[in-house]
Amino acid sequence: MSLLNICAKPGRTATWTLSWLLFATGIVMYFYTAQKRHQENPDDRVVPTFAQLTSGIYQAAMNQDGDEGPSANTDGQSAFERFRHGMLWTDTVASSRRFFYGLALLFPAVLLGLHMGIFPYFGVFFLRFILFFDKIIALSVLPILFIAFGIDELSKVMLIVIGVTPTIILDTFNLTKGVPQEQLVKGFTLGASDFDVAYRVVLKQIWPRVLNSIRLNLKPLMLFLFAGEMIASTDGLAYRIALLRRHMGMNIIIPYVLWVALLLFLVDLAMRLLNRKLHPWFREA
Amino acid sequence: MVPGSLTEPTAALLDPLPAQDALIRLDRIRVSYPLKNGAQKIVLDGIDLDIHAGEFVSVIGQTGCGKSTLLRLVLGSESPAEGRVLVEGREVIRPDRDRGYVPQKYSLFPDKTVTDNITFGLEVEEFSLLTSLTPRYYRRRREFRAEALCQLAKMGLHETDATKYPDQLSGGMQQRVAIAQALVMKPKILLMDEAFSALDPGTRAGMQKLIREVWQETGTTVLFVTHNIAEAVSLATRVIVLAKNPAADGSRVALDLSTAEPDISARIEQVTGQIRCDAS
Repeated sequence: MSLLNICAKPGRTATWTLSWLLFATGIVMYFYTAQKRHQENPDDRVVPTFAQLTSGIYQAAMNQDGDEGPSANTDGQSAFERFRHGMLWTDTVASSRRFFYGLALLFPAVLLGLHMGIFPYFGVFFLRFILFFDKIIALSVLPILFIAFGIDELSKVMLIVIGVTPTIILDTFNLTKGVPQEQLVKGFTLGASDFDVAYRVVLKQIWPRVLNSIRLNLKPLMLFLFAGEMIASTDGLAYRIALLRRHMGMNIIIPYVLWVALLLFLVDLAMRLLNRKLHPWFREA
Repeated sequence: MVPGSLTEPTAALLDPLPAQDALIRLDRIRVSYPLKNGAQKIVLDGIDLDIHAGEFVSVIGQTGCGKSTLLRLVLGSESPAEGRVLVEGREVIRPDRDRGYVPQKYSLFPDKTVTDNITFGLEVEEFSLLTSLTPRYYRRRREFRAEALCQLAKMGLHETDATKYPDQLSGGMQQRVAIAQALVMKPKILLMDEAFSALDPGTRAGMQKLIREVWQETGTTVLFVTHNIAEAVSLATRVIVLAKNPAADGSRVALDLSTAEPDISARIEQVTGQIRCDAS
């Protein structure tokens, strides 16, 4: 078995072992480092131990914002009630709401890209502007957004719009342009109108690729959302991370970071499965 | 002079039938594309051609002589720089449902099953995006599907193929579906652009037989672009040979022959051979 063999076909065991090896190595190295640091300094807060992490997760999940200690402010509530009012859940709901607003705003962007690609006058009207708009660094206009839209939800959603929509518009435009001319002509010869061709021929063909493009832009979308939340927010996952940074609350920050990664992974997985289910004809390149 | 040679006047070769009888009329067509250096590349120049209802016309010629451009002009997906293309006396502006189209590639919608590909035209004609959500649409769709299955059977395909996607079909099967898709709309003209070029010889022979039968059965006027002389002669009632005219830097009709004429293949080969010599 040669690791540098192009024609190699890893078996099931090799695939399973190799794909989990880096995860296992990372976990082992983390806890080894944590143990070492705590041996040298028992008050170390930079690399929390397993027990500190567990306590941090419990605290984040069960305690409300401002509660102190692992069993604070329970007031006889059930575990479910405490979880529902806990920091982790309320922050997740707040961030998810903004995330889905941002995601919803990508759909008009897809329609604009489609129209730009299909209707030449739309294309010439918008293309140059969108190309320029795409080059604006979204974070650089953050102060302007806060001045123009205030520090509430709108400015954070606008940050997502400025950061991600130009990419989606241009990607959809390129995908639309990539549909063979024969397909459009074929549509017309079968009696389709311009809008039929746009929505029933082109959009249906590019839709799985557009979903893929949106999926690949989930991380930038989240990045802009986090930037907004970290600077001006009173709730949300990024707000909590920024707040805890001041108190060196690594035992909660690390679970939060992993929770965000897990959520994004699940959204990504859901979109991939949905794409496969909705478009059985689509084969990814 | 060799009949149909480049120096022979084009007008003398054209069909003598009066223009008003023509289903398709190409009138002094000139097509050119701008080059990067600002010059114009002339693809077709001085083309006059009449095609009558019910004819099966093959267009043949060397690569780059403008065969597909001529077909696209009739289709309406391309406009001439000069001249007019008339179908039933009306100028062709854009593709429409009167002219069915079977290209060499991308002939089917990849996101639709075989049935959905065939019923697409029937559905868009009767139902808009919004009305396709009504109960009547679902009732009618059952009828459309029955018609699609009927067309499939005519094309020699099985009912089990109906739910397949285009990429699950062979090249020959895809073209059969594409023909069914075009014919279900009952077009006046069927335009086929190198439709069988990518098929293996066996499948190609089967497709030639099929299209000939379809033409005899439906009486649809067929304009068939190919670079295969034998195919052009065996299928069509008339063969148009397009050739580059070095003097005019464009293409013109070099031969316009009925396939009933004797030694037609030899004459075409003679002309195309001469063109090859001229070009070299």
